[in-house]
Amino acid sequence: MINQIRISGYLLAACASLTVTMAHAVDDSKDRGKSVSDAEFMQAVKESFLTENPNDFKRFQDPTLTTCNQTQDQPSPKQASEILQRERSSIQLPKNGQYMGDWKQGKIWVEGAHGGRIGFPGFADADHPSKPNGANCYACHAVDPNFPQNGNMGPSLTNYGKLRGQGAAIVKYTYEKIYNAKSFVPCSLMPRYGAGEGHLLTAEQVADITAFLLHPDSPVNNPKQETVAEAAHH
Amino acid sequence: MNKLSQWMGTITLACLGSITVPASASDDAKFDDYRSALEDGNPGEFWIDDGEELFYAKAGPKNASLDRCDFGLGPGVLEGAYAQLPRYFADTDKVESLEGRIISCMKNLQGYNDKQIQEQFLDIHYLNAAEEDSRVSPLSQIATFIASKSNGQPFLIQLDHPKEKQAYELGKKTFWNRMGAMDLSCANCHAVKGRVLRGVELPIMTDPHRAGKVMGAFPAYVNKDGNVRTQWWRNERCLLAMRLPWLKTGSPIDTSLILYQVKKAAESKQEIAVPGIKPRA
Repeated sequence: MINQIRISGYLLAACASLTVTMAHAVDDSKDRGKSVSDAEFMQAVKESFLTENPNDFKRFQDPTLTTCNQTQDQPSPKQASEILQRERSSIQLPKNGQYMGDWKQGKIWVEGAHGGRIGFPGFADADHPSKPNGANCYACHAVDPNFPQNGNMGPSLTNYGKLRGQGAAIVKYTYEKIYNAKSFVPCSLMPRYGAGEGHLLTAEQVADITAFLLHPDSPVNNPKQETVAEAAHH
Repeated sequence: MNKLSQWMGTITLACLGSITVPASASDDAKFDDYRSALEDGNPGEFWIDDGEELFYAKAGPKNASLDRCDFGLGPGVLEGAYAQLPRYFADTDKVESLEGRIISCMKNLQGYNDKQIQEQFLDIHYLNAAEEDSRVSPLSQIATFIASKSNGQPFLIQLDHPKEKQAYELGKKTFWNRMGAMDLSCANCHAVKGRVLRGVELPIMTDPHRAGKVMGAFPAYVNKDGNVRTQWWRNERCLLAMRLPWLKTGSPIDTSLILYQVKKAAESKQEIAVPGIKPRA
């Protein structure tokens, strides 16, 4: 009994010292400012951001992201199925009914970073809505091996079609994943390109990107081309 | 710094534009040589000189200067004031950032009204935030001058006042909250080690050492833009990429987001060194 008390005493002391150590290296990933209510946050948002279009404030109040924020991206099974259902219902086909579009157009949308940026009136870097948007895929993914930059937030998509083939199921999945990644993973890190306030792509563009990833002739599914400098070197 | 060395600096800068760096080095390390080459000829020094002139010049409806402006350490005390901002100010009953406080003093001491502040100071401050826009914002000039008076000191953020604690929590919430058309939070990119976005390594702002280096460099001279940029600008550029509306300088979210990151910076005890030098955004 005495030993037990002693051991729990040591444990308590160990826990206390751990707490002290933790206090120096602050990890906010569990707290995330939760003492501020969503209503207080929205009030601060309304005071702090300027826009000519009141709809832009919906970008702070998306129902799916609200659940993801409240649960730190760990929705309950019930919440998860609500999200999946809502996001799945957003998915629409292009007007011609085809999941696969033009891969050469898709290359343009994959590389493009234009679209959706809201500026102060007259601000040069705001994106004019009359120009087609890009998806800026290279921000997060490696795609065409000939493209000089890529990010690492998402998996590499190089050889995407070569590895998976072009069967009907994979074509449909690829289209839907780009259109609305949250119809598969409730709090996916990937933006919903075809749905949600301010979404960047049309259904036709999503189909073009689907083709860029899957078409056998697309550079995504072919070896990296030698650059002029590399060829000269050989 | 004399004009000759300033121009030498500008010339050095133009030459350095063509230097390529090995892809293996981390982005931060890559630019160390570049920064040290510019140390004696940082064009951002112009902003300090011009900001000093503006700060002591009589202006506004009351034809008064800003020299009695209280940045938290008493009227006209500039040494070390930036190191303790953002902080709570009783006269406005608000937590204010450096730019926010300058605006309050323009109103209180110089008699500008909101409309005049917008038209004479904020419009240009906002419009020149675009890439490669080298038009000068007087607000940035004054801010750079005040900030330079804290060079060599680490940030010291106490959060003593309840409104400072509240603002810090609001900053934390803003940093960790997923929002905008890209469904991202600041933390999704800036709280995860090793994140690279389209070839650019991202600073981890929850890491005190890195936050200290980043926050202590602003206001910073951005070579690509030929302009000096403030902490507000740095955050606005991220919010722009997140496809969120325009962040107002000195607004509650602007101030809170700065406070959250500067508090992290303070934990590292890194010294403020402004104007910093940045190759690009």
